[in-house]
Amino acid sequence: MKRSTQVHWTLALLCLINSGCGSSSEPSNSTSSSSQTPVLRIGMMPKLIGISFFDAAERGAQEAAEELGINLVYDGPTSDSAEEQATLVNTWAAQGFDVIAVAPNDPESISSKLAEAKSAGVTVMTWDTDANLEKSGREVFINHTPNQGMADTLIEMMIDGTGVDGKLVGKYLIVSGVQTAANQNAWMGLMQPRLEQEHPDCELLPTLYPTEDQSKALEQTAAAIDAHKDLQGIWAITSVALPAAAKAVRDASRQKDVYVTGLSLPSLMDEYIKDQTIDQFALFDVEDLGYLTIYVAKQLQAGPIAAGTHDFGRVKGVTVDENGQVILGNPVIFNQENIDNYNF
Amino acid sequence: MTFSDSRRKWIGRLLPWLLLCLALTMVISQVHNPRSLISVGVPWARIGALAMVMTMIILTGGIDLSVASIVSLSSMVMGVLWQQGCPVSWAALAGILAGFIAGGLNGTLVILGLSPLVATLATMAFYSGLSLWISASERITGFPPSNLTRIAGCPTEYWILGATFLVALFVTHFTRFGRWCYAIGDNPLAARCAAIPVHRTQWCLYAASGLVAGLLAVIYTMRDGAIPNVHRGIELHAIACVVVGGTLITGGRGGIPLTLLGIVIVANVDIGLSFMSSSFEFFKGEARLVMVGILLIVVAVWNEWTERDSAKLMG
Repeated sequence: MKRSTQVHWTLALLCLINSGCGSSSEPSNSTSSSSQTPVLRIGMMPKLIGISFFDAAERGAQEAAEELGINLVYDGPTSDSAEEQATLVNTWAAQGFDVIAVAPNDPESISSKLAEAKSAGVTVMTWDTDANLEKSGREVFINHTPNQGMADTLIEMMIDGTGVDGKLVGKYLIVSGVQTAANQNAWMGLMQPRLEQEHPDCELLPTLYPTEDQSKALEQTAAAIDAHKDLQGIWAITSVALPAAAKAVRDASRQKDVYVTGLSLPSLMDEYIKDQTIDQFALFDVEDLGYLTIYVAKQLQAGPIAAGTHDFGRVKGVTVDENGQVILGNPVIFNQENIDNYNF
Repeated sequence: MTFSDSRRKWIGRLLPWLLLCLALTMVISQVHNPRSLISVGVPWARIGALAMVMTMIILTGGIDLSVASIVSLSSMVMGVLWQQGCPVSWAALAGILAGFIAGGLNGTLVILGLSPLVATLATMAFYSGLSLWISASERITGFPPSNLTRIAGCPTEYWILGATFLVALFVTHFTRFGRWCYAIGDNPLAARCAAIPVHRTQWCLYAASGLVAGLLAVIYTMRDGAIPNVHRGIELHAIACVVVGGTLITGGRGGIPLTLLGIVIVANVDIGLSFMSSSFEFFKGEARLVMVGILLIVVAVWNEWTERDSAKLMG
């Protein structure tokens, strides 16, 4: 080992230390120079980073941050870990962020961390999934769609495809995810009474719960298609179940007599739309969700947002309720014409 | 060789302190709410408490990979009992006991002649699976708030870290038991010939590791609920702290104060990097893992170089 190597090491470390010091003076400079209009610092945390859904939300958030001149940090765990999210909330609170917006993996355990951050003077909010309202003290929750709107869209897409004079007649099947999924259960809970009242001849087969497992979904849907030769349509209401159901129908060459629709991501459904296995499916605009989150965060600095309908930047007609729930709007329906406009 | 042994050792001691300075600079430069740092450090206090016992195990030439799974198991035992209507205090005691038994089982396997790596690798999977099984993979939340999660205004994890540090320091450096640990790590055969109770020493260490894991699990569960496998990977953080401090992974050399230094360094580097990640795109997510990996390699190479006995090399 040569002496010069040692010197190099020492120098390298000194450089690093200096760069650290350099960066330490930077923020203090910027805060002192802009003391009249301090730049808002927002930390926005997805459930995990690196998947197309949350990448799309980031694009929308960055767009809003640029429009509003906000210092946005978009970061989160690399797996859907509740513990890593908690650590990051603490970290951001220690750094003195103005706003922290989280899409919690575990609504319960994140709540106490959000409450701590709030007591340190941070405005806390949730998006995509809510935390415990009382425990966390979150200001607002940015939700995508009203549950009723989602349920109605699902039924209307099916009427569009298989309706006889606007009525659903025959056997239908719902493919969900895990049995405890709150969103899916809420939508099904709203679909069922409407089907019973308005479509008395619609017979719902027992719902499938293949969890969030693509191969299980494929297997179970294929078995159901095989068992019911007179099946009219399938609602696959998770992003995993819809491509699996589409593939099952295509594999069985039953595209003509089984109408598949549901909820998923455009990027996952592209091939099934293009080869006309399915006509249309729905979801909300994830980019808009990210965009709205940042706009609401900015607005909150001027005081609480009153219940009612508001416009936030390019997103119009957003409803806010008394519980601080901000609802993006009705779902977007994707089909042959518009699917190329979305990349998430 | 241009450096004498003593010179090399002296330089060797510089690296941890330089790293510490660097890490502290990163942390301090970014902090606006110093009080919030206390919560940021809680996971590291937890890892630190585990690293203390881990140091003693590594001194004997062993390793305990199952601590994270024991935390999960203890947590779920407590959660399930509480859900069945058991009072929280009894459920908590059962959780701690479960940790102790799990650690004792590790010790027994090691005594039976399994290599510690294989034994605890197996129990890592076993305990983790067991915790998922008894809880049906569901998280159990809604525990009543407990004043045991904070003692004198400070999260209990810090007190556990302090207590394990003092006990480990005393036992390792001031008792016969501690000297046995070094002797076993240096040469287990020679230790046995010298009439050192090798098996008893090993069993006690693994059981202690399980006990500390159980204790940490119970505190976490009281605060955040029982979540299966939420601490996956902390055994590796604990081992990293031990190694960065300068304890040899092959055993026989190192000490408790070194591990304390290791904990402070690794914790500050990690916290510092996550602070930096909000200011610089470069430090995000995966890049952070890469940098921690590089840090470990540098430290390991450095320790290897400084600890190398030139006398041994020359025959």
